Amino acid sequence: MSETSLRGQVAVIGIGMSAVGKVPGRSPLSLAAEATRNALADAGLDRSEVDGVLSSHAFASPFHRFSVAFSEYAGIRPTFSNTLQVSGATAATMFSIGAAAIHGGLARTVLLVAADSLLTGLTPDLALRSLTESRDQQYEMPFGIPVANTFAMTAHRHMKEFGTTPEQLAEVAVVHRRHASRTPGAQQTSPIAVADVLNSAMVTTPYHKLDCSLISDGGAAFVLTSAEHARALGVEKPVYILGCGECYTHEHIFLMPSLTTTGAVDSARNAYAMAGYGPADMDVAGIYDCFTGTVIMMLEDLGFCKKGEGGPFVADGQMTYGGCIPANTHGGLLSFAHPGMPGSLFHFHEVIAQLRGQCRDRQVADAHLGLVHSLGAGFATNATTILGTREAL
Amino acid sequence: MSPEDASRKPLPAPDADTTAFWRGLKDGRLLLQHCGRCGHVQYYQQAMCRACGSEQLEHRPASGRGKVHSFSVVHRAPGPAFKTDVPYAVLLVELAEGPRMISTFAGGDPADVTFDMDVELSFDEVSEEITLPRFRKV
Repeated sequence: MSETSLRGQVAVIGIGMSAVGKVPGRSPLSLAAEATRNALADAGLDRSEVDGVLSSHAFASPFHRFSVAFSEYAGIRPTFSNTLQVSGATAATMFSIGAAAIHGGLARTVLLVAADSLLTGLTPDLALRSLTESRDQQYEMPFGIPVANTFAMTAHRHMKEFGTTPEQLAEVAVVHRRHASRTPGAQQTSPIAVADVLNSAMVTTPYHKLDCSLISDGGAAFVLTSAEHARALGVEKPVYILGCGECYTHEHIFLMPSLTTTGAVDSARNAYAMAGYGPADMDVAGIYDCFTGTVIMMLEDLGFCKKGEGGPFVADGQMTYGGCIPANTHGGLLSFAHPGMPGSLFHFHEVIAQLRGQCRDRQVADAHLGLVHSLGAGFATNATTILGTREAL
Repeated sequence: MSPEDASRKPLPAPDADTTAFWRGLKDGRLLLQHCGRCGHVQYYQQAMCRACGSEQLEHRPASGRGKVHSFSVVHRAPGPAFKTDVPYAVLLVELAEGPRMISTFAGGDPADVTFDMDVELSFDEVSEEITLPRFRKV
């Protein structure tokens, strides 16, 4: 570990969410403010103590400089701020950049906040359209590629190479729904079976409607500060950032080096190396689950099982309570909520709540180490964060 | 985006990097860039070789033959412009020269598409300016 390592230098001292799911009539700024109020209250801090603000872009907001617009809205005058954009991986980069800013002396207390209203602020058609628009205008868009399509082609190839089955993909959705049924405020909680997934409308092969994540409204916010300041504040259950990693392998899906092994391998390797832990040490995980097959591939690339074995791993109950790695215990993007960029922040919210022991009947026993992996743009962007309690330092 | 815009299919707007590529397609040729320094063959068109950074790039027509590396049949269109086209197969084709590209299956029933299927180029003139490269079964 180098002297400049971020390991254990910064703590998460506050977490909060807005109303989540279908929340009509609320702008992304208003949802972000609600999440921020809750995170600051959780931290026991006044907004005047926040000197850094990091956000991600909101599709349903006209403000490109969302972090700046939000600071004005919330009455915060930051001396460090940015609006980050690496698609779905943005969430994890908010944590690493926020931590680096604190460790590097750019700010003392950084608020991470993202919110969007993809469900009611944009029509579903326009929400999908806005995501599709982000693909290459010359070499991809003319062919009518839905956002699900690039991910679908990776899963399809995974099925061809490793024999992963539609039933195994469906099982991912079933597990997420079961997890969501115990999470207050989750958008979809009625139980589903493998047959329900396979009988739901085909979106783009091999993905049925229930293989795809939700479209939602909502947001989340976090308060970060230095480990030292957290101690001075007397924070009862600080959760430390122990490891961070990123990897960007391509922009166009046709330049993805392998459809079945992703940049998550390097992203996770860097995060584990910084943390000084490996996949077998993790007690709980938050894994970006935009589609069912995504989870299977990530369980492999993050090191929880061998390449090609993700399907049987899930079908064998290894990603839930009692298995190797209880993951997405809140229900994930598939069943809790997916408002776009903030979606992966809910994985952080859940893993941090698990590490603090605050998850009641969905609590993973003795959870001290957790991993969150965020990704986006057809696996173009990958970012991993490893979090731990005081005992894991 | 207005509803009228959303119902129109997006068309490429050629720029300095890609004018030759789209002109090639209009003339019935799929141009790949061959690097004069390291021999790398690349798709898409740009001002430098992605392997070695050289600017000595030469356009050469592809054989037009390739294999389906992966595919996905779209049943829910990405917006109104593609609604009447479903179901259609989006292909990730590995060209005989090495590079991969995204396209769609123009050879009939999308249910006929299989992994590693041999395909060949098929030119779809969608406007006066633009011809899209699609693929059909050999």
